[in-house]
Amino acid sequence: MTAKKCTFSRRRFLQGAAAAGAAAMLPCSLLVPGKAEAAVFSEGDYQTFRNACPRNCYDTCSIKTYVRDGVVRFIEGAPESTFTDGGLCVKGYAYTRRPYSPDRVKYPMVQDGRRSGKWRRVSWDEALDMIAKKMLKLKEEDGSLLGLGMTKYSGNFGITNYGVEGMMSSLGYTTRFVGTPCWPAGIDAQNYDMGNMWCNDPEDMVKAKYVIVWGANPAWCSVHSMKYIMEAKRRGAKVVVVDPVFTQTAAKGDVYWQPKTASDGALALGMARHILDKGLVDEDFVRNYGLGFDEFADYLRNNVTVEWAAEQSGIPVKDIMEVAEEFATADPATIWIGYGMQRHTNGGASVRSIDALVAMTGNVGKEGGGARYGHLQTWGFNYHALIQKQPEGSKGFVGGAAKGEFDFTSGSGASYTDRTVNINKTAQAILDTTDPDIRMLWVSCKNPFAQDFDRPKLEKAFDKLEMVVTVDQFFNETVANSDIVLPVTTLFEEWTVNVSYWHYWLSVNEQAIKPMFETKSNIEIAAALSKKMNELAPGSCTFPQEIDTKEWMEKEFNQSIYDMFAINDWTDLRNGPAKARLKSSAAWSDHKFATPSGKYEFKSELCAQNGHKALPEFKAGRERYDKFRLLTPHTKFGLHSQFVNLDWMHEYDKEPYIYMHPKAAAEKGIGDLDMVRVFNKVGEQKARVKLTDNVAEDCLLMYEAWFGRGNAYNVQNLVDDESADMGAFKAGAPGVAIHDQFANVERA
Amino acid sequence: MKKQYAFLVDTERCIGCFTCAMACRNYYHQVEGVVWRQVYPLSEEIYPHRERAFLSLACNHCENPACLNVCPVEAYTKREEDGVVVHHQEKCIGCGNCIRSCPYGAPKYNPVEKRAEKCSLCHERLDAGLNPACVQACPTDALQLIDLAEFERTNEVQYPAGYPRMEELNPSTRFVLPKTPKMVRR
Repeated sequence: MTAKKCTFSRRRFLQGAAAAGAAAMLPCSLLVPGKAEAAVFSEGDYQTFRNACPRNCYDTCSIKTYVRDGVVRFIEGAPESTFTDGGLCVKGYAYTRRPYSPDRVKYPMVQDGRRSGKWRRVSWDEALDMIAKKMLKLKEEDGSLLGLGMTKYSGNFGITNYGVEGMMSSLGYTTRFVGTPCWPAGIDAQNYDMGNMWCNDPEDMVKAKYVIVWGANPAWCSVHSMKYIMEAKRRGAKVVVVDPVFTQTAAKGDVYWQPKTASDGALALGMARHILDKGLVDEDFVRNYGLGFDEFADYLRNNVTVEWAAEQSGIPVKDIMEVAEEFATADPATIWIGYGMQRHTNGGASVRSIDALVAMTGNVGKEGGGARYGHLQTWGFNYHALIQKQPEGSKGFVGGAAKGEFDFTSGSGASYTDRTVNINKTAQAILDTTDPDIRMLWVSCKNPFAQDFDRPKLEKAFDKLEMVVTVDQFFNETVANSDIVLPVTTLFEEWTVNVSYWHYWLSVNEQAIKPMFETKSNIEIAAALSKKMNELAPGSCTFPQEIDTKEWMEKEFNQSIYDMFAINDWTDLRNGPAKARLKSSAAWSDHKFATPSGKYEFKSELCAQNGHKALPEFKAGRERYDKFRLLTPHTKFGLHSQFVNLDWMHEYDKEPYIYMHPKAAAEKGIGDLDMVRVFNKVGEQKARVKLTDNVAEDCLLMYEAWFGRGNAYNVQNLVDDESADMGAFKAGAPGVAIHDQFANVERA
Repeated sequence: MKKQYAFLVDTERCIGCFTCAMACRNYYHQVEGVVWRQVYPLSEEIYPHRERAFLSLACNHCENPACLNVCPVEAYTKREEDGVVVHHQEKCIGCGNCIRSCPYGAPKYNPVEKRAEKCSLCHERLDAGLNPACVQACPTDALQLIDLAEFERTNEVQYPAGYPRMEELNPSTRFVLPKTPKMVRR
């Protein structure tokens, strides 16, 4: 061994296990070296692969993965993507540990008694036999498979993972949990105003002369967007951050506004009124490309004053006037509308008010401007994995069924459909649905016990189910409430493809290592189940019984994707991610809107038809039902329940805290780092408290996460399933008022 | 002045995201409990809002390193060409002198190897023409690699509040201090 080799010692732990297969069978604990020293870096020493972070995140980072001896050694951001720019985030860099985590679900397991913890290992054949027999029994007893429910959401946005929906369709007509806890109220709002949700390229924020970040916290939830905001600021733009919490993003702005929670609509309308009074409206835009602006102006004159907005929001009149004038005169000016501010009973109405504010100043359709919320412009895949045919003679639901926001299928002429229930009322839907009851549940790409609302009720609902099958990577709380867990691959172990709902990059996800243990990808699980179903009852499942995940990934591509990204073939992506060719970095740059009128609709009849106001009128928020407002936003160390459980993350994030204002704490005799109990009508949660004026006096803040390792912290013990105003139009079900929650606190 | 590589920590740009810290772990796989780069929130006496301004700290690669001076077996060297302080773990006897004498807590005890270790400034990556893993990872360029010999001073400080003033060691890290926005609260 050469001297140079010696410095390799941090990775010498696998020198004796050169074969990839052997490495894959090593116990996970061996995959942590005993020694860390500077490593000789030579790219030629590694095989490199392209991966893409498939989590529900603005950034959808393009990853470059370094593999040696069949083991992921380290990863970095793809240098080719100007968005990722060679870096990832704290969560992304923890990925290297994820496939090798000792806490992974390694084999199919059966639990004898839910929440008993009595797990026993079974073979794939045994597990699928139990599952298939139960499905066939449901079909026989109920006459349909509507008793089989599927709940899946955003745990893995790799396009091939829509094979979970495809698997359900291939079994027959089933019950689907539709909608999204994430962003539906805002989607509907933007659809009423502009005819679609479509945002500018975030990279063009550098051109903005004025940036308002409204209810978003990119410093934690879109770290790669921060450089564009900072660059705009460096070039002279003013950055205003509006948030009920003094967030990390707020700390980086020029001005921070802390309005009363859920008063965003009033604040935007107050600004709009002042802009109107000052004659700063972009007449060209509102006359030529807008519909109903005069009526909106009348509404403002008759119902809104800056003084009223100040009273509603708590932001002083002079500040509202100042920012409104600056915003209206800066060219271009933009507002980033966060998903946080629409998670209210008036969230959709608030987004419409902010859209109107951006539009009346002529900033919609302008590079560096825009009412930025999200987009699905680059999601034009074939959805081959998703689109599967029901077996002959399948019976299903008769009547209207909703479609989810990522459902790209076109309508079919079938007489039956799947049955849909509201994903945001999962517990209630399981308890209430009859004819037939939801008797069996398939969970994948989702951790309902960390995500769905009213956890105590969810436990009762799960107890009603006859069989729960969860496909996951870790033994989380949903797995604890299941009968069977099936181990699923990580991004390094499967082929797929990813795009973002924020930026315009496309990344391929290569299989960089062989699947660890007995893990299978979601489409491989579907194929294995299909094989078993057809063994037991020929013709009972149409999903192909043998699949190659790489071939299936290829089937998602088409010419329009190639044209959009200027690539000849998907294999070009192995050289690096590609960015969509945009005729302008601005959404709606031709001012041709997708609304019924083709204009920006300050007044939307469609919105009125769907039970709301035609104009973006003010709507009051949910009434307070307990002493403090409870906010449960994202943590920087995790994405919903993912990442926080990894031992690497635990090094930097050891326990959850409740954040509280010192004055409010003093009144309750609560001191810094005391253990407290937060409680309300839903349930309770204990954690240590940190005192800070980052939150208002009447507010409690707890970051959402699943800690694992025996820590039962769960904010869903305190969050009910109250609906937001909008979301049913485009996402299939209304959103949920996650931030319209209230609670009290005392020393534990 | 001879070439001296150093970290520039721009707390005005830093968003405390811990990406630098995890990028280090991603690259070196330190054992549980061993942290080469840590992100420390400033106390409220220094920055008036809890956990909203941070110092990202690793080894300072001092001009006159305490670790090197107290090591009985010459397990530390300072690279002539760029001033990087290198710990040679194969020589280390695990006596803990360096761990006790570094006022910045850079060397850590590795309980598996029973020896010390610390931030290497990714000198092997430097030799390959690459940035240190933490620097490459930083999404806002808040963490940068500079050469003090060539670095033109503007508003940087060597000893921000809360950071031990050790002039004898002359730590290399430089800092830009954080700012606060105009606050409009209800």
